[in-house]
Amino acid sequence: MNLTVAPDAHRIVIRVEEQRLDAAIATRFKDRMREIVSKCSTPVLLDLRQVQFMDSSGLGAMIAIHKAMPHGISLVLEGLQPNVERVFRLTRMDTVFTISDAPRTEREVG
Amino acid sequence: MNAANSHDPGQTGDLDRGAQPMFHRVLRAQPLLVRDTLADIRRRFAADIDEDALGRLELVLAEVMNNVAEHGPWIGETGPDGGTLRAAPMIHICIVRHAGGLSCAVTDDGISLPDGCLLPGAIPDAHSVDLPEGGFGWFLIHDLTQELCYYREETRNFLAFRVPVSEDASSDPEKPAG
Repeated sequence: MNLTVAPDAHRIVIRVEEQRLDAAIATRFKDRMREIVSKCSTPVLLDLRQVQFMDSSGLGAMIAIHKAMPHGISLVLEGLQPNVERVFRLTRMDTVFTISDAPRTEREVG
Repeated sequence: MNAANSHDPGQTGDLDRGAQPMFHRVLRAQPLLVRDTLADIRRRFAADIDEDALGRLELVLAEVMNNVAEHGPWIGETGPDGGTLRAAPMIHICIVRHAGGLSCAVTDDGISLPDGCLLPGAIPDAHSVDLPEGGFGWFLIHDLTQELCYYREETRNFLAFRVPVSEDASSDPEKPAG
């Protein structure tokens, strides 16, 4: 489970360095993230740009992380790729999470 | 080996484009084997269907196979984390491309599906005070498939469904109007 944690004065950026958040990795992801966010005192930006695929076990881990956030500390998701965005949208979890519309690294021409 | 080319196009529907890609595999229901199989399925159909349909196919099959992996029969031994171990059932998966979609058949020798899974699923409540962390898998399967059917024969589960594919790559069948 590869995560890069980059704290600065105002927030903590956590970059998920995995292509997939699936059943093979969801528990480890959840445990590592809960450990990190439970100690946070500044907003957390979770960068999912590298994640190309997420299933319901990955979504379950995301919800557990959301619930583990300390009171009053925000969690923002950024860089959702289409196959990840679809899972949030179909399950209506896009209404629960704060999802940033930061421009994607890949852009379609046309 | 997987039969990439059917010798009898008539068996795969009445499309006027000759051989259709198909995929067949037998695997143990274990998360890393499921992951590898999904990557191979993506490669098999990548040239034939658009990225949106590939993504929907991959998600549905991940949910179906992960369910099998998570609900194998108990084998009465204790694992390294102290929990009782489950056996990994054997999955047979077959996918055939035809007009309008991908027909999928997945069978396994795990425990039977609870009745509730087969009913069109209610979505777990996104606005309840205590958010659910599970229960989304079957909701996604129902949402992304058509003609979902299930039966059990002796020791095997049989699940069959269709993942729709737009023949016009420029339109997106998943996007709701408006």
